Amino acid sequence: MRRGEIIPSVAAGLALLAGAPASPRAAGYSEFLDSLEFRGFRAEASYTTDSNVTRAPAGDALRDRILGVRVSAGGVIPLSTRTRAAVQGFAGIQKFGTYTGLSNNFIGTQGDFFFRSSGEFGAATYGAFARTAKEEYESTLRDGYRHAFGVTVQKPLTDRVQLFGALTRNISDGKSAVFDTRSTSLRGNADWSLGRWETAYLGAEYRTGDSVSTVSRNDPIRTLGFVNTASKIIQDDAFNDTTRDAYRLKAHTLIATLGYNRAFGERHALDVSWRRAQSSVQNAVAPASGSDLNYTVNQISVAYLGRF
Amino acid sequence: MVRVSGAHWGKSAAVRPWGELDDPRRRILIQALAAGFFSSAGNAAAQLFGRAPGKLPAGQSIYRVSGSVTVNTQQATLQTRIVPGDTVETASNGEVIFAVAEEAFLLRGGSRMVIEKPPSGLTTALRLVTGKVLSVFGKGRPTRIITATSTIGIRGTGAYAETDPEQTYFCTCYGVADIVANSDPSSRETVSATHHDKPLYILAKGKTGGAIRLAPFINHTDQELALIEALVGRTPPFVFPIDTYNAPRRDYP
Repeated sequence: MRRGEIIPSVAAGLALLAGAPASPRAAGYSEFLDSLEFRGFRAEASYTTDSNVTRAPAGDALRDRILGVRVSAGGVIPLSTRTRAAVQGFAGIQKFGTYTGLSNNFIGTQGDFFFRSSGEFGAATYGAFARTAKEEYESTLRDGYRHAFGVTVQKPLTDRVQLFGALTRNISDGKSAVFDTRSTSLRGNADWSLGRWETAYLGAEYRTGDSVSTVSRNDPIRTLGFVNTASKIIQDDAFNDTTRDAYRLKAHTLIATLGYNRAFGERHALDVSWRRAQSSVQNAVAPASGSDLNYTVNQISVAYLGRF
Repeated sequence: MVRVSGAHWGKSAAVRPWGELDDPRRRILIQALAAGFFSSAGNAAAQLFGRAPGKLPAGQSIYRVSGSVTVNTQQATLQTRIVPGDTVETASNGEVIFAVAEEAFLLRGGSRMVIEKPPSGLTTALRLVTGKVLSVFGKGRPTRIITATSTIGIRGTGAYAETDPEQTYFCTCYGVADIVANSDPSSRETVSATHHDKPLYILAKGKTGGAIRLAPFINHTDQELALIEALVGRTPPFVFPIDTYNAPRRDYP
């Protein structure tokens, strides 16, 4: 699909899911709509503190606060007794408090295919998904598309613990080649039900592939290390406090998430989570050593989640 | 059971009287086993992290009990038997999951339910005096659920009911239910459902023929249905549960 076709398609999908008046083109979707079980709208409003929005080593790590809103609408299409498809359209904004060049709007769509062998309590659900989103930043270089596809498995371990795993290929296609990245991630989640309305969750993810760090030119030795190690470099236009360059690097990243979700009835929930990411650059070139280029991020997020 | 290594068996342990083992770690282990430490630790772990539900062993009625729950006014424990004729009551902080013969129930807090003895041996009956109950029933016998405002005849059904003096919420999760308003026998409806197709409110005071109204799907989950079906060795007819968990799954950018 060419770039110009994505947003109209996503918009049409959202309009269809929302039951908007049909355009002539929408008539072709009538069969699709007949089989679609609409699952409503979801909204999320979040406040996040991020200790390192530059994804840079200590000394260049910049802290910021982010307000986010995301809305989505989706539905499922039963394909057979044991298989079904799900479609979702989503859109949102992220507003950064200080480094406003990172603020962005996004719109996207996701399709899933699921298989489950039976309705038995412990039966696993296997899935495959593809997602695409367009992102527009207040700066320019990051503008572009973000795609992901992969496989998932979800299984209740006990009546209180649910496990989730995903293997994902992430592809981003930015205006600058620095932000054209590829990575693969393996993720595991455990949701622990503390009561009917309370869930604690733990997540671990290993990601390998391209990573982008934005670093100032204050330390010439380290800058030389970044220049020698990076596959692509560009002066980053999202920061205007000083000259900073964005470097595309190969890295291993470990991400851990700890969260607590408190539901207020079936349609509203408050979610608090802490996430820590540690990234280690592969194949650092002198005069840099790996530890000069590595970074750590801590994010604390509070989110309201609603379903309508 | 404690395994004794061959080396020890060949030496002193085999001939020492019970209670005179020389290895302090083995002594602690044996004492812990004797005190039921692992059993109670296992129970604590099950309380904390849950367990995979399966068919309850013969003689066991209660799968899980939390908060204040009574059976015939006696505090309920995992050992309490529940049989037809019993009254099960939960305080506002209580919840109990149990099975009686082919039927299984999840009784939420602030509820009072009487499992009536079948008068003729043909029809079992539940009287939900107040509160909220999720139930699954075997296919063999017709059953009646009597609530504050309705009488419901069901066959091989999963159902969820909430009742108070003003109205009853009733969801035929799957199966067939014949619903009649107590205050107006002309208000009646037969629901044949495969997956929560037609939840209803049955009002105490409604127009003649109009005491039953459509309702949304609320306050029960497919995971709970699968859990209580497992206690009586069955599987619900649906394969995919309706997703109810609402936590974010944000990607790390």
